[in-house]
Amino acid sequence: MTPRHAFRVVLVVFAAVTVQGTIVLDLRIGGVHPDVMVLLPVAAGLAGGPAQGATVGFWTGLVADLFLPTPFGLSALVGTMVGFAAGATTAALDRTVWWVPPLTALVGSAVYELAYPLLGAVLGQPQMLHVPLAGIVVLVGIVNAALAIPAVRVVAWALPEASAEGAPPSSSTVVGWR
Amino acid sequence: MTLAILVVASIAIITLDARGGFHRIASGLRSTAADAFSPVRSVVDGIVEPIGSFLAGAVHYGAVRQENAKLRQELGTLELRDAEASDATQALTQLKALLALDNLPYYANLTLEPAQVIEYGPSNFAATVTISVGRDQGATLGMPVVGEGGLIGSIVQANHNSAVVRLITDGRSSVGVRYGPSPGSLAVVNGHGSGHRLAASLVPNDAPLRAGEVMTTSGLQGAVYPPGIPVAKVVGIRTGTSSSQESVTLAPLADLARLRYVDVVLWGPPS
Repeated sequence: MTPRHAFRVVLVVFAAVTVQGTIVLDLRIGGVHPDVMVLLPVAAGLAGGPAQGATVGFWTGLVADLFLPTPFGLSALVGTMVGFAAGATTAALDRTVWWVPPLTALVGSAVYELAYPLLGAVLGQPQMLHVPLAGIVVLVGIVNAALAIPAVRVVAWALPEASAEGAPPSSSTVVGWR
Repeated sequence: MTLAILVVASIAIITLDARGGFHRIASGLRSTAADAFSPVRSVVDGIVEPIGSFLAGAVHYGAVRQENAKLRQELGTLELRDAEASDATQALTQLKALLALDNLPYYANLTLEPAQVIEYGPSNFAATVTISVGRDQGATLGMPVVGEGGLIGSIVQANHNSAVVRLITDGRSSVGVRYGPSPGSLAVVNGHGSGHRLAASLVPNDAPLRAGEVMTTSGLQGAVYPPGIPVAKVVGIRTGTSSSQESVTLAPLADLARLRYVDVVLWGPPS
């Protein structure tokens, strides 16, 4: 990654943290708020492939962990896996088709919000399961699906060209998003 | 390869955080991040709030006009009542002082630092709030925080000018309490997540407990809260057939879903 791309990624993550920490936290339904930080690894997986999805998921998760009262590193772990999975599972698809980003964001966000408390419980924090999990999965999934297309465009602008790691040889490129 | 490295790195960070040394570093990083982000939040809120209000006003223009007319009418009525209210306020202040001496000893004996709730929890998986008082105002880790009605939680992260409070409903919260006739029986009130009732453990079957009874902090030696702070009200008691303990559910006295102003109790456990 060149310094220019690194700067862009930092800019995008900072923007996401700002939006999440100001506007999004006030948008609560039944005590549950959306989580746009989850969208970044999914968007990176779609725009840059599995390896870049995992990398963005890791660093975005670490930044998110700075602002969360949950175990430090947990968002990084889940973000890494979801970012990689978003890139790997859509590798055989034409990612520029309009419905692919929203659907991937919906499923990826749902998986993230389910895996997060489950791993938290495994790490000795069973209270993380005592939450309105269905509401969280639905709200975060729908909001992120709605924001998926612009998010992929922004992340594609920030990332260098996709790497082929983790993707099958026949996988499509993501040039269409740039 | 990238995935494996990052997963291992994440697990290493989680493992180190679970240990003492790195946890302090992580807490320091979190505190620094909160302090650094605080001005950004203020600026963005300053921009976003008026826009939000304008849009809300534009969308609901008709309703706003009607509400405006109604409010003008109510204002006239309220101005007439103002004189009466000042007398009532004086009476209320006196009553509060009496109550503080009589039923709420922590008000009389402890120093309180008023604070505003500036943010509800940043995570859907933990019950926390952020308040406008931090280390610069004397707030430190573990200090109790009370709201209208009683205990709301304790400080788990103290930044320069803000602090994160873990609410008593959070699954990691447990409060030693006292109930019943003096000197009172002891129990522990545990949180079960946001929106869920609290539960009391260590309450024997023959406990002198009734619905509506208020449990207060026990203040036992080594306790993290001073004695006498009201915590929660008993809303349900169920006796198990095979259990030696009552199943007791409680509701927090403070309205945790609508917190706006709270007090930090500037108190630490006696060393």
